[in-house]
Amino acid sequence: MNKEIIRSSSRKGLLFGIVMIFLVLINFHIMAATMISKLLGTNVLRGAFPEVRYMIIFLVIYGLWVGWSAVSREGKTITKLLEGLTAGITTGIVVGLFGLILFFLLETQTDVRRYLTALSFPSINIFLLGLRGIGVPVLFGLFTLTGVAGGMLAVGLRSKFITELKQSVRTTVINLRQRITNSLPDKVNQYGKYGIYLILLIVLLLLPSRWGSYNNFVFGMVGLYVILGIGLNIMLGLSGQFMIGIAALFAMGAYSVALLNSPFPHGLMWGFWPSLAIGVVMAVIGGLLLGLPIMRLRGDYLGIVTLGFGEIIRILLNSDLLTDLTGGPRGIQNIQQPTFLGQPFTDVSYAYLIIVAMAVSIFLYYRLENSRTGRAWLSIKEDTLVARATGVDVQKYKLLALCVGAAFAGLAGGIFAARNQFTGPNDHTLMVSINVLSVVIVGGLNSIPGIILGSFALRGLPELLRELETYRLLVFGALLVFMMLVRPEGLWPSTRPDLEEKGSSGLKEDIDAHEEGRGNA
Amino acid sequence: MESEKKSPPKLTRRNYSKIIRPVFGILVVGYILSRLYDVLLVQQAYTAEIWVRLLISGLIIGGVYALIAIGYTLVYGILFMINFAHGEVMMIGTFAGYFLFEATKSINVASAGNPPLSFSNAYPLISVILAFIVGMTVAATAGFFLEKIAYRPLRKAPRLIPLISAIGASFFLQNAAQLLFSPQVRDYANPQAIARGSGWTLIINDSRVIVTYTGVLTFVLSILLMIGLYLMVQKSKLGKAMRAVASDKNTAALMGIDVDAIVSRTFIISGALAGAAGVMWGLHNGLVHFFVGFLPGIKAFTAAVLGGIGNIPGAMLGGLFLGLVESLGPTALGISYQLKDVISFVIMIVILIFRPSGILGEVLSEEKV
Amino acid sequence: MKSRFLVLALILVMVLSACAPRAEEPVVEVPAVEEPVVEEPVVEEPVVEEPVVEEPAGEDPMEICDNDDYGCAVIAPGQTIKIGMGSPMTGGNAAFGIDAEQSGLIAVEDAGLFNGFQFELIAEDDGGTPEGGAAVANKFAADPTIVGVAGHLFSGATFAALPIYEEIGIPMLSPSATNPDLTRQGSRVFNRVPFTDEAQGNAAANYMYNELGFRKVAFLHDGQDYGKGLAEIAAATFESLGGEVVELMGITPGEADYSPVLSTIAAKDPDALYFGGYTQEGVVLTNNMKTSGLEDVVFFGCDGTFGVDFLTRTGANGEGTYHATPRTPPETPEKDAFDTAYQTRWGQAPGELSPFSWNSYDTTTMLIKMVEEVSFVGSDGSLYIPRGALVDAVRELANYIGISGTYTCAPVGDCNVEGPTFWIVENGEFVAVN
Repeated sequence: MNKEIIRSSSRKGLLFGIVMIFLVLINFHIMAATMISKLLGTNVLRGAFPEVRYMIIFLVIYGLWVGWSAVSREGKTITKLLEGLTAGITTGIVVGLFGLILFFLLETQTDVRRYLTALSFPSINIFLLGLRGIGVPVLFGLFTLTGVAGGMLAVGLRSKFITELKQSVRTTVINLRQRITNSLPDKVNQYGKYGIYLILLIVLLLLPSRWGSYNNFVFGMVGLYVILGIGLNIMLGLSGQFMIGIAALFAMGAYSVALLNSPFPHGLMWGFWPSLAIGVVMAVIGGLLLGLPIMRLRGDYLGIVTLGFGEIIRILLNSDLLTDLTGGPRGIQNIQQPTFLGQPFTDVSYAYLIIVAMAVSIFLYYRLENSRTGRAWLSIKEDTLVARATGVDVQKYKLLALCVGAAFAGLAGGIFAARNQFTGPNDHTLMVSINVLSVVIVGGLNSIPGIILGSFALRGLPELLRELETYRLLVFGALLVFMMLVRPEGLWPSTRPDLEEKGSSGLKEDIDAHEEGRGNA
Repeated sequence: MESEKKSPPKLTRRNYSKIIRPVFGILVVGYILSRLYDVLLVQQAYTAEIWVRLLISGLIIGGVYALIAIGYTLVYGILFMINFAHGEVMMIGTFAGYFLFEATKSINVASAGNPPLSFSNAYPLISVILAFIVGMTVAATAGFFLEKIAYRPLRKAPRLIPLISAIGASFFLQNAAQLLFSPQVRDYANPQAIARGSGWTLIINDSRVIVTYTGVLTFVLSILLMIGLYLMVQKSKLGKAMRAVASDKNTAALMGIDVDAIVSRTFIISGALAGAAGVMWGLHNGLVHFFVGFLPGIKAFTAAVLGGIGNIPGAMLGGLFLGLVESLGPTALGISYQLKDVISFVIMIVILIFRPSGILGEVLSEEKV
Repeated sequence: MKSRFLVLALILVMVLSACAPRAEEPVVEVPAVEEPVVEEPVVEEPVVEEPVVEEPAGEDPMEICDNDDYGCAVIAPGQTIKIGMGSPMTGGNAAFGIDAEQSGLIAVEDAGLFNGFQFELIAEDDGGTPEGGAAVANKFAADPTIVGVAGHLFSGATFAALPIYEEIGIPMLSPSATNPDLTRQGSRVFNRVPFTDEAQGNAAANYMYNELGFRKVAFLHDGQDYGKGLAEIAAATFESLGGEVVELMGITPGEADYSPVLSTIAAKDPDALYFGGYTQEGVVLTNNMKTSGLEDVVFFGCDGTFGVDFLTRTGANGEGTYHATPRTPPETPEKDAFDTAYQTRWGQAPGELSPFSWNSYDTTTMLIKMVEEVSFVGSDGSLYIPRGALVDAVRELANYIGISGTYTCAPVGDCNVEGPTFWIVENGEFVAVN
């Protein structure tokens, strides 16, 4: 029994130790300490190093986490502490050995930055807490102690006392809610939800003019991805077509607005609103052209073809051949800004425009989803053969899905180009398609709140968290994997029941089955 | 799947598809033929040695794609998932080989009377073999952990979920490599014997055509690996188990096959293949950087699809085909080189329209998608 | 459930830290420097009612700011004065951006404190693409404490960013954007210290025709602004001199094997291959030339292909290739000091990652100096920087002695009219030829 415990917790400790080595090798420890430093009020400029005490705080937090996760749910208290201790010791050993190597590098002034860029001498020095050689045993001791402390923390937080406390708090809250709902008249209860929405809407409408242009910029980015996400969702989530080329349709909308509204290359100035409409139409045509040849393809083949289509458009936009038409690699600049009622657009106006566009998109989406068309789409997604047998014109509806989705993409593209005052071929790369796909899946397929949340988490947050700039893609990638492992149905799953038993469409059902299998809450 | 049975009197719409596809195909093929006629027969701008060079380049480029595509297609054939991170596993192999060559380069071996040679140059064969072993091992390990962490828990999930996880893993690995090793592009230190650019010389039309050692090595290696893999899948016990798992996971499990272990081993082999491709890439192209796996990964995926996903000889064929199109296409069609990817994708689309399962079709298991 | 809570908590922590109020005491490793005396505000024409007098701090900020075309940037106590920088910091050309940031950080450190205010370098990744440039410019424009931009680095990105900065009044001083059209836009804010590609392309064509005697040259570029512009200019000049342009075409950047393109060019039997683009592609081209039938053809590169990287990655294949650089920085004590600081801080010598290390240091320092010149401290203790005045001050730089050369800016924004230096690779080293 004991051996098993020691083995499993030392394995965890080992894992944490390796992760810590990795983090040091990518300078993450510096960034974490910097963030902690800023959180506690001391500013650290870019390129400068935080003070040692913040590094200590970071390591302590990490150590606590090690101890905490090493503790298993069942067992005696003393066992749990032992688990924490073992994990802490193992991590301490691993980190200590690593620290020893680093110390050696520091002492001999061996510069290995040619191979491992993060190991600059100040960086090493801070990791060793400024104590050089003594830092090694100190690190070991730190992790050992925090391992135990983490274990104690886990014990404490899961103790009977705390659990009962949580339970009683929960009960009180539920009772309170019940009392309130009972005491209020029925009408309020029924429409209370809408009241909350109304308040949110009012807040949303007031914010853009208050919170500064940078936040408007980020908000706009999030909003555009919501519109794109809705478009992709129609293609992917409603009609089940695996589409990785939405960037091409986005490009059509963007380039329509750009080409019709700038001095170069054509000198046309048709105005934003008409060209936006044209952009949507062009995107729809694009969707049609894309859809016609590929009706027979399914699954991954469809994906690769749409990917190819996206790339073709991008290469053509960038090529010398079409430079006279599309502006080539330089892109299109000085896109004329829209005016509304005589007033030129400011960043606040754009925010409102995007809010309106989002509202329209969401409204259209709900109407479509619950309409005959929507049901036709869903039936195609669930089982094409059966759908056809029941008289659904599969081809027409598939094309329709592509075109409608494309329209949304074109809308987003047009607004995007005008807002940036610029667009070019590299704005419409494969990455864009992948980003939209991630937003939809991570947010929750077929779920509007999910798409909004996903867009914020995957597009908005990275913009806001400037500190994480260098680690952005790292965190993004890890987040995607994490989300799929932990919550594949999305941040805010759709509530539409899926009756399919198995296969590529029964998302929720499959998730439930596989969650059950894992025995997880 | 979608049968072309007679259905209610929507003849006009049904005929759309019947008309559109052939028309599209004829347009594309017609264009290609007319361009070929123009370039080859009318202009006659290029002489034999140019075509030979282009052919050789195409085969070599194709060989590289084929090497990577083989690993892709293996995983797809067994698990029906697109291992988006395959390109990154290849990148890991490239880096591993790079570090090995850096090491052997700096060890000096005294040779009688002459200035000391580095280990690489003194024992090129051993160094290269060592590099491949190291590269393949590291990449195989990476593949193993990749599967264990990012894919195994998602095996029962619908296809989109592991795809997103794969995309996430791909970004994570790319960025990790960039942060660890800096974005700087590094150079492979080939042993002198197979220095890049050295090779056999053919004389055609008074012009020297060089067939590089590394190029030939690439091509030969991809063929060998393909044959080896094919034999393994068809003949060996492991291969049989793989095919069983590919065919029906649950039944295979009932029959006593340890599905987890088989899948693990598939990824290990796929990783090793990617590692070999990575080391070969480094030797031939000389570039090592964190982004090196992305574009070849996508190209290899295209190649695998082209040949028929899950089909090992198909992957080889698809890779070679793609390489040849990229190399010969722009010249033969008189189109700018900037558009070579357009040509590849258009041809791929045309082929898939008329043969949706790829050139050789799906073979590894009975169709499942 | 547990995991969701954890994720939310993590997000909350990160958001809090980002929104945390900037603190009073900046913590940084800065050498102690005595603060310069407060400068009097610089006013252009007598637009202001008040006479232009050496006023001490306490001059009414409102007057000056109201009369300034672009208004004032206000740096509150505790905030930093930010200099922006846009460059490719990831991807195949990341070396350029990283190098620029590294130089810029040293410049900021050397600048020290100004009236108790700290300078800060904000280097953002624009990918070297126009889209990235526009995105970064939009970001910078939304931050009111960014007062100048030492960039962008690549011409394509600079083009896209220019109109955005023009609107807000953020002066640009680029260390490396060489496309000639940049100073033909009638821009008030854009300036640069390197030569233009017109100078470079003309000089290259002349050199190839007259000095090297080439008559048939193939011109390649990487399809991007800088390379394309350069190759086109060089080709046009070459043709006007009487030479034959056997080919003018673009390749796709980022490929690992250009043998097919080169084989096709071999059919046209050129004397030389001129390439407009960056090291990444230049290296591959040079290596591939040896196996595509172009062994005896000379590779003529540009300032985008110059660097130690090229040497190490082409080895013997690089012998006899030509490149260009801005004028070689003269050997001065200041340059030596910078070189040592760079090496110590970053573990590599300046000029290795890109030839613009010294330029970047100078542009950042020049912007800082101009900020110091035009700004003044208001009675509330905030620093006021009149944007219009700053824009003009940068445009009117004269006889500024930097470590990379002496600069005087022409009215259109070109601060250096000295032509390129050409280099040939001999025995694995760059040797100047003019």
